[in-house]
Amino acid sequence: MDQVINPLALYGACALGAIGVLLALPRRDSKTPQILGAVIASLAGGIVLLAMGLKAGGLFGIGLSPSVYFYVFALVALGASLRVITHPRPVYAALYFVLSILATAGLFLILSAEFMAFALVIVYAGAILITYLFVIMLATQAPTEDLENALTEYDTAAREPVIATAAGFVLLAVLTTLMFRGVGELPKAPAINGQSLLAEMPRKIESALLAAGSLPSGAKVTFDSSGDAKVDFAARTVEIKLADGGTRMVSLPGDLAVTNTEMVGFNLLRDHPGSIEIAGVILLMAMLGAVVLSRKQVQLDEDAKERHAKLLAAEMAQGVETNP
Amino acid sequence: MLTSDSLLTLGAATAAKAPIIAGDPLALLIPAMPILGVIICTLCAIFGVRNKFPAFATVLCLAVAFGVAAKVFLGHTGDVRITTGFEWMSLAWGEEPGQRLIADFSLYLDSLTILWMLFVTGLATLIALYASEYMSHDVGLGYCRFFAAFNLFVFSMACLVMGDNMLLLFLGWEGVGLCSYLLIGYFYKKPSAVAAAKKAFIMNRIGDVGLILGVMLTFIHFGSIEYREIFAACQPYIEMAKAGKFSEIPAIVQLIPILLAVGAFGKSAQLPLYVWLPDAMEGPTPVSALIHAATMVTAGVYLVARTYPLFLLSEYALPIVAWTGALTALLAATIGMAQFDIKRIMAYSTVSQLGYMFAGLGVLTSTGAAFHVVTHAFFKALLFLSCGAIMHGFAGQLDLRKLSGVGFMKGWGIVGLGMAVGCANLAGIPFTAGYFSKDMILAEAFVTPGMAPIGWILLLTAGMTAYYTFRVFFRVVVGPMHYEPGDELHAHDDHAHGDHAHGDHAHADHRHDHAHDHGHDTHARADAHGHGDFHPHAPGWAINTVLATLSVLSIVAAGLYFAKSPYEGGLAKGGAVPGMVERSSAAFETPFSHHAAGEPTASIKEGGHEGADGTTPAHGSLAAPSFVPTAIAKSHGAAAHAGSFFGYDPHKAMYYVSGVVGFVGIFIAFILHYAGRRQAATARADALLPAVGPVAKWAQNKWYVDELYDFLFRYPLWFLSHGFHLFDKLAIDGLVRLFGGIPRFIGGMVRPTQSGELHGYAAGMAAGVAVLLFLVFMLTMR
Amino acid sequence: MMTTLAQAGFPAAMHQLTLAHYLFISGAMFMLGLIGFLTRRNLIIMFLCTELMFQAAGLALVAFSRFHMNMTGQSFVIFIVTVAAAEAAMALALVVLLFRKRESLDAAEWQEMKG
Repeated sequence: MDQVINPLALYGACALGAIGVLLALPRRDSKTPQILGAVIASLAGGIVLLAMGLKAGGLFGIGLSPSVYFYVFALVALGASLRVITHPRPVYAALYFVLSILATAGLFLILSAEFMAFALVIVYAGAILITYLFVIMLATQAPTEDLENALTEYDTAAREPVIATAAGFVLLAVLTTLMFRGVGELPKAPAINGQSLLAEMPRKIESALLAAGSLPSGAKVTFDSSGDAKVDFAARTVEIKLADGGTRMVSLPGDLAVTNTEMVGFNLLRDHPGSIEIAGVILLMAMLGAVVLSRKQVQLDEDAKERHAKLLAAEMAQGVETNP
Repeated sequence: MLTSDSLLTLGAATAAKAPIIAGDPLALLIPAMPILGVIICTLCAIFGVRNKFPAFATVLCLAVAFGVAAKVFLGHTGDVRITTGFEWMSLAWGEEPGQRLIADFSLYLDSLTILWMLFVTGLATLIALYASEYMSHDVGLGYCRFFAAFNLFVFSMACLVMGDNMLLLFLGWEGVGLCSYLLIGYFYKKPSAVAAAKKAFIMNRIGDVGLILGVMLTFIHFGSIEYREIFAACQPYIEMAKAGKFSEIPAIVQLIPILLAVGAFGKSAQLPLYVWLPDAMEGPTPVSALIHAATMVTAGVYLVARTYPLFLLSEYALPIVAWTGALTALLAATIGMAQFDIKRIMAYSTVSQLGYMFAGLGVLTSTGAAFHVVTHAFFKALLFLSCGAIMHGFAGQLDLRKLSGVGFMKGWGIVGLGMAVGCANLAGIPFTAGYFSKDMILAEAFVTPGMAPIGWILLLTAGMTAYYTFRVFFRVVVGPMHYEPGDELHAHDDHAHGDHAHGDHAHADHRHDHAHDHGHDTHARADAHGHGDFHPHAPGWAINTVLATLSVLSIVAAGLYFAKSPYEGGLAKGGAVPGMVERSSAAFETPFSHHAAGEPTASIKEGGHEGADGTTPAHGSLAAPSFVPTAIAKSHGAAAHAGSFFGYDPHKAMYYVSGVVGFVGIFIAFILHYAGRRQAATARADALLPAVGPVAKWAQNKWYVDELYDFLFRYPLWFLSHGFHLFDKLAIDGLVRLFGGIPRFIGGMVRPTQSGELHGYAAGMAAGVAVLLFLVFMLTMR
Repeated sequence: MMTTLAQAGFPAAMHQLTLAHYLFISGAMFMLGLIGFLTRRNLIIMFLCTELMFQAAGLALVAFSRFHMNMTGQSFVIFIVTVAAAEAAMALALVVLLFRKRESLDAAEWQEMKG
């Protein structure tokens, strides 16, 4: 595999991105470094994408449709991720996360994995993130009147930013180096022509033929011994059984294709049935666990009690003041 | 050159194994009864018996043993009998005779053995009776412990004396050493006693190196360690020695007796291994009396006497023994003259008298030496027991400057009498037993060619002995009555005797130049009659009985000189005891004994062993060789003439000379220590002190021999051991601790990473993964 | 539909999407999630960043599945989402409990494993 991107550019962009993210991480003092950092990081990201765009050749002549959507979605995803990690307020971070989910869903769409996109949005954004938001709101300390907009101390400052950023970018550089240099002759997984699954969906063929009007009345798609339809993929014809018992080859409608959903479904149920069961068990355990955990009445810790008392005292003092 | 026919010979042709005559099986009771005593005393200890029962059980057992010894004596006819006990060790690794080691628990009963066992068991019985009262305020566990060790000692002594092979002798040797250690260190809470016990044991062990080497060489060369086989195998060598061909006797055989002598020196406190005996006075007095006067220290003499045939084969062994004995006698006498602690004086006199015995063996009068052993045992035990009674009664007081006129005090008459008898014997007043036995040795020293210097040394020592003995007598037993209690005035848990006297010795160097009384005054307790409320505790019936018995026996022992030999055909002069000894392996007939000075010894009468009776060595090859080692004769001229004393026959001359010397010594002691003495502390001797000041001080400090040993051996060893200790602590322990310290150090360095902070851990993980991947890719991606 | 990039005359490289493009995005999102996890102290935000990492992994899987024309990758994304959901539920329940104990969401409060 040729080099997709000039390594110098890659590493340079990594370093630049590191500096940018470092600056962008939450800090107590002024906000300007953050903005500056964000700009730098986006600059770095842009450089990489551009360089990739310039150098990449058509390697997998499968015919991915060239699209500017990729770049749009990619930029949105990266930007949202950056904002997730750099925004001091938790709620905003969660919302930016939702944005990044949507961007990722878009990327899935470009990859012709529409089912995955929908599933991602529904489960992730619709369920998990909502849970996160609920918990965030549940677990935020109730601010006093003059501390409404205050951020908690732990939200404001980043912790060990340098090590984290350095580690992260080194990892990124390494990972991408591997990607761009290739690892030699890795065997490819056996490709499955998803369209061949069409033969296993005779009902679908039937309804499609019916919709297209190619099916004479009373005729059914013939089933062979294993319950599949007999489809000739080369000619794109399928055999049907006429009402009087004869068989005829009918051509498939042009837009009849196996959808991503069907393909994922077949793969899931046919090749990974056990994993489905286990996933179900995991979910059950999670549910039970959540119920059990949330029933516990937890005693306040000593320090927390102290703080609570102080807070109450302060409140009462203020209450005395304000309530004449 | 002596011709062989002029000497009495033994059955040289019968070098092969002679038939064994079985001895009286009852003799096995002699070692068995003390073992029974040990068992009884141990049971008493276990059951917490708190009366005098162990003591009386011991006395009974030992009395039975004595009775059996007496019976065996009466039934003995002068030849060698072997009573077989049980098979103890029997190892064979080959077929030839030299590849078998047999050591049975068998008893070798000849007259030497019986003589020794008689006085050992007899004295042990008496001293056990004495100890029953002496140790009476220790009744309980200590009492049982004492008597158990006492019995064990007698058993070991029996093994030593009665064993028929050198291994059993060695067993007994070590056993008596062990019991000596146990008994000296009886007061184990006293550091000086413990130190003295260790000293005794260690010095014994130093001598034991010689002994064990000698036994090993004996086995290597003779192929056996049983006496009868050794003596049988000696015959060819004896022939050679008779003919004067010492160069043909193998060097090993000549070396063996020298090594055995080294062992004997260790056990019997001769130069240079004598320093433990005075310290051994830390033990209770019965122990001193039995072990360090009468029995254990004579084990060395017994060893030499028993293996006398081997000694005769060596050119140098007997001269070594003689000179060591003589010099030891002189040295110990000089030290004894300057001591103040009467028990110490007696200890040094024991060393000195042991020197006499060894000198006697060396000048070829084994009979005289054995006789001196017997008489010395009795009177020295008597002297020690009397000193013990004094110590017991005066709360540990033994300083002769603080005691006086004890013999005249009420209830102390028998003690005074005992001291008188003992001192008379020790000094060699004419017609006492000590006089006769010492005479035999002195005479023989002048008789044997080449040993005259030894004779002069011994004569001088005799004078000194008389002096210091009667110094004690005139200061302590007679004179104005005065006493001061010792250190144990209020302490009844031990008979600590040493501190006070030790203190005196230590302080003496500061105050020695002044008169004794200065020191006395600073210690002054009260008026001339002692402490206000202290009364001496006169001895009870047991002590008095024993002292009286021993006094009588010591007086009667003189009669042994005139008694007839219990066996027929006795040759040597000296009465019963020499008569017994000459029938044993120690016997040795010198041609000089019966001739007037100057006569050539070309012919010896045919009397004696051969011809006088039929009971000659035909019984076996076990009778004694009789000839003089030609080496001694050779060095003094071709014609071996018997020595003479200024032209007179030494035997007769010595009667007078030693008597005169003794009286001179007594007279000097009288002048210096009795005449004109008004106070306990002073005597005319003090006036002389400035004149002999430094010499006396050195003598009092034992000629600094202990300090010399410290310098030569103890301090270097101390440094060495401390060096090794340091090496062990630093290097070896350091190495071990290093192995422990490295993980600890590394852990200490790594511990701060366990901060409990989640972020730290996570950052570490991430950074680690990044670094690892980075490395992997850098190394593989090319 | 708008004209493709190729029709618009963009250089070929720019409109030929490769696997590498998607992997880069995935890697960058993963890395951002990692940095966020290591940097933020708010427990909930930390878990959110782990979710971000899950998402990046899912993107990579789908890209590979497309590359290999094999549906296995996409099935696994379903499992990943499942597990992520379960884990999020548990994590949040625990976070709530922890919050109740110390009244704070600071991860630095919990240092009892020190040493």
